[in-house]
Amino acid sequence: MLRTTLAGLRLHKSRYVTTVLAILLGVMFVSGTMVFADTLEAGYEKTVMGSAASVDAVAVPSEPDSGGSEEPEEALLTTEQLDEVRALPEVAGADGVVNGEAVLLDADGRAFGFVPPVAVSFGEHTRFSAEEGTLPGNGGEIALAASTAEQIGFAVGDRVTVLDREQAKREFTLTGLVEFGTEQDYSFRGAVVFDEDTLREMATVEGYVEIDATAAPGHTDQQVSDAVAAALGSSAEVMTGDEFGVKLAEGTGADTLMLRTVLLLFSFIAMFVAGIVIHNTFAILIAQRQREMALLRCVGAKRSQVFRSVLLESLAVGLLSSALGVLAGVGVGYAGAAFGGPLLGMEGASAVVVSPTAMVLGMSVGTVVTVFSALVPAMRATRVPPLAALRTSATAAGLEKGTGRVRAVFGALCFLASAALVALTRMSGPSETNLVIVTAAALVAFTGVVVLGPLLVRGIVRVLGIPLRRTGVPSMLAVDNSVRSPRRAAAAMIALTVGATLITGYSVVSASIERTLTAQLEEQFPIDYQITPQMFLGEPAAAEPEETSAEDAPEEETASEEEAPPEEEAAAADGTVGAPDVPAVPAEVVRVLREDPLLERVMGQRSAAVESDNGTLWVNTHTSTRFGEDMTADTVEGDISDMGPGKVVLQGASADGFSVGDTFTLPLDDGGELSLEVAAITEEGQMLYGVTLHEDDFARAFPEITSDEYVYVRAVPGADPADVREAVHDAVEDHPTLQVMSVSEVKEQLSSILDIAFYTIAAMLALAIVIAVFGISNTMALSVLERTRESALLRALGLAKGQLRRMLGVEAVLLCLIGAGIGIVFGVVFGWAAGAAVLPGLEFTVPYAQIAVFIALAVLAGLAAAVLPARRAAGTSITGALAGE
Amino acid sequence: MRYVGKGACPPFFRRIRFPYPVLELTTVSVPTADPASPVSPPPVVVARGLTKTYDTGGAQVHALAGVDVEFHRGAFTAIMGPSGSGKSTLMHCLAGLDVPTSGTVHLGRTQITGLRDAELTLLRRDRIGFIFQSFNLLPMLTAEQNILLPSQIARRKVDRDRFDRIVDVVGLRDRLHHLPAKLSGGQQQRVAVARALLNAPEVVYADEPTGNLDSHSGTEVLEFLRSSTKEMQQTVVMVTHDPVAASYADRVVFLRDGRLVDEVADPTAELVSARLLKLEEA
Repeated sequence: MLRTTLAGLRLHKSRYVTTVLAILLGVMFVSGTMVFADTLEAGYEKTVMGSAASVDAVAVPSEPDSGGSEEPEEALLTTEQLDEVRALPEVAGADGVVNGEAVLLDADGRAFGFVPPVAVSFGEHTRFSAEEGTLPGNGGEIALAASTAEQIGFAVGDRVTVLDREQAKREFTLTGLVEFGTEQDYSFRGAVVFDEDTLREMATVEGYVEIDATAAPGHTDQQVSDAVAAALGSSAEVMTGDEFGVKLAEGTGADTLMLRTVLLLFSFIAMFVAGIVIHNTFAILIAQRQREMALLRCVGAKRSQVFRSVLLESLAVGLLSSALGVLAGVGVGYAGAAFGGPLLGMEGASAVVVSPTAMVLGMSVGTVVTVFSALVPAMRATRVPPLAALRTSATAAGLEKGTGRVRAVFGALCFLASAALVALTRMSGPSETNLVIVTAAALVAFTGVVVLGPLLVRGIVRVLGIPLRRTGVPSMLAVDNSVRSPRRAAAAMIALTVGATLITGYSVVSASIERTLTAQLEEQFPIDYQITPQMFLGEPAAAEPEETSAEDAPEEETASEEEAPPEEEAAAADGTVGAPDVPAVPAEVVRVLREDPLLERVMGQRSAAVESDNGTLWVNTHTSTRFGEDMTADTVEGDISDMGPGKVVLQGASADGFSVGDTFTLPLDDGGELSLEVAAITEEGQMLYGVTLHEDDFARAFPEITSDEYVYVRAVPGADPADVREAVHDAVEDHPTLQVMSVSEVKEQLSSILDIAFYTIAAMLALAIVIAVFGISNTMALSVLERTRESALLRALGLAKGQLRRMLGVEAVLLCLIGAGIGIVFGVVFGWAAGAAVLPGLEFTVPYAQIAVFIALAVLAGLAAAVLPARRAAGTSITGALAGE
Repeated sequence: MRYVGKGACPPFFRRIRFPYPVLELTTVSVPTADPASPVSPPPVVVARGLTKTYDTGGAQVHALAGVDVEFHRGAFTAIMGPSGSGKSTLMHCLAGLDVPTSGTVHLGRTQITGLRDAELTLLRRDRIGFIFQSFNLLPMLTAEQNILLPSQIARRKVDRDRFDRIVDVVGLRDRLHHLPAKLSGGQQQRVAVARALLNAPEVVYADEPTGNLDSHSGTEVLEFLRSSTKEMQQTVVMVTHDPVAASYADRVVFLRDGRLVDEVADPTAELVSARLLKLEEA
């Protein structure tokens, strides 16, 4: 039996080409991801370990017991402790690392980054060293983190301006670049390096965040670290350089884990699609070989033997293509690490890491998916009655029977259930759970498509066929051909539906988010510029608050700088709210702006956090802002233009239990209370959030807050944008730390961020789509094989080669269009459901242009899928095909 | 050619299977030929010195070894011969389905040997009709669609009267909207005959048209073919190995080892059998 199977495989190997390719691509993705992530991880490790291994002992302040939820103050090591370490006989040399923060100005004299970079100094005995040039040796020299220098565009030898503690400018010469690797703070915020004395002049720093020591001759690193540990006692955690490196590497491992997980998710999708393709291929192959199977039964093969034979065949195909896939994956993973690694902060080229896990995972995923996909067709093969062998051409007669009523009912139930689930999410408010429910609804609906597939194909072809039939015989025949085996057609197109749903869904979400945020900017609060102070993260220990209110995220996002992810930055902004030294826009800047005739309105926003019985209340006010005119908001109740002194606008949790006209009582710090009439309650996700007071009431409640946290500027209508820009920039000339964002820039940034995300995801899904197109091509090729005689007959009757090719092309395009069409509909529906489930007030937007591109791509994919089968069909000799069966 | 249209076939004729209702296809002005001697008009198809050589693993097989043959308008000719005598190859070369190694084939004034594939396709589409042994119909098209297919491929306007007449003659009126799978073998072949005749091609090639049919259905199909030559001056060339089928033809040509070796006019089944037997024994 084995011999028969293998002989069959050899005979039919051309039929397996696209199947092998489909498996190969899927497996390539899986093992490529593993190799890429492993190599990246090894690369990071090497970088981190390399720097850490250059010292023998590393002491970091031990984390003090955090009593309860209070954020502990960061402990530091002292100069005395450094001296103690230096005095140890085991230590050859020791130095400390000092961290502060300093505002770095770019070539235009504006502050770099949304938060100032870390200002750092370290001695020669620490694990850091200059990668290029030299470390700063005096008060006139500075070094930068290599990544910072690259972002800001400075090279060694340039003059660099940094603001000192008093915000006065001070110039330095850039003498060197330091590679800080991927350590969180340094890579995220950027870093400027001074010598220790200069750093103490420039920034408020006290102790050392780290003391590194090298061993005196004759001592091992373990001895050094023990000695340092003994000297520092419980105040420090001491490790050898290698141990410290391992610990750092673990941190970066977590980063690659994220990347690995995301990539594996996409490989899962690719494998899923490959599974559908494989299943369909086997189903068709077995249908075509019905007679062969029956003949086997006739000569005495048992059912189980036929079953095993088919499974064995799939096993052989699975093993072979998985092996090829793993090989390709190693190549792709290596290429990915070589090209992508440097972008992700990996230093230099690292040897490719092929772990046994990557091989085993790739092999087993590919093989298991293949064998599993072949199970049902194998079962079906056993049901071939031996007598079928005696009947002529069982396949040629094969016009499939209609879809059963059970099937139709079950499919309809799936759609109903899915619709009910989506409706459920619309009833309840936005939450994370809803996203899960929407996903479930999508899966249920997808099951419906799988079940109803043949029916859908027939229905859609009937409709599309009406105009198509008129365009000529090839199209007419294609329309008829495409519904000959609806089940086969359905299976082929469903593979494409998966990819199309995901891409369209994402593009709908992305377009809707962009539209929603833009609408907020343009309609609810039309402004031209936003001015914010640079946020300070450092002293005095501006700990991030536990609670990061979700609802203010959208607004914060508008102020985002590209390197600051919204969450972080929202947290940063919140962290300083209510603190005594809230960074604010100086009143003088506001005054200058207000005097400028080009600027119509200059509005401020101030905020404070108030502890009440129901938790923290976020209290805001907007100065010089006419509610309902300068700013609008969708309300649940009331109208914000009713806002005025003595009134309040509520939103979200703070509005619980209130309605318009009620009295809202705000507890004050001095023990008093402020009673206000509720003017309006706004919907979530609007510009107004928390509790909004009139500016007079706010001044009474928080007399200490006298300057604006945000300043919004709107120009006189018709003013020259260049003049407006100059006016705004002139006003902040003397305040380099103020961040000026033009709203059009914000919009551009927003859409470029969303675009990058979209293209990345589209690229990841592209492979799944390519696999699906292989599947369609495969289905076409097998159908062509089955219809060899028919094609010959058509050619004999006078159908030209070109017409025959066009016929197959139209059929493939039809399949692709149906698959993509269903996917697009699903994508739009579930994209909307998912977006609305998470983002309140989502402005549903259908990205028509993108969808048009998808449809065009589907047509192209169809044409591509038909190329080889059509060539084959047109190239077949008529007489040969007529003679042979 | 112009024909008298009489609309639908009266039920009376439909019930009568034999004799075949020739009345329905009566021509008004009988063209050139004297029905009694259909071999006399000028030849429609002329083949000269046809050879066809296949290379099978070094050894050369001569499927056709120099065939000269012609077929006249309104003639029903059968090509016979033992298996492997080259009769199918001859037909394929005559029909422009296959390219001979040497020699020429003319259809009317057109020399079809040497035409490019695209030209051959048009030639088949516009001037030749085909009936094959089996697998004659496209399974996804109804009987009517199958009959109309060549006209549609050619974007030719269909002569509805002629269509109606042919459909009635072959007795398919109530089967027009059935898929081939729902038709019997005989009905399927009748659809094929109707398709081949609809465009009044210069020549109809039939390759074992009765090979897969029971004798009753076979006779039916052969009767249709014969009457089409008689009544419509249709030229029919049929390849067969069945002496009974051949006996419906006006003329039988015998092929052996790729050569034309014998010819019988006005054959009977017995005569053909005897000749064939002689050929195989020789």
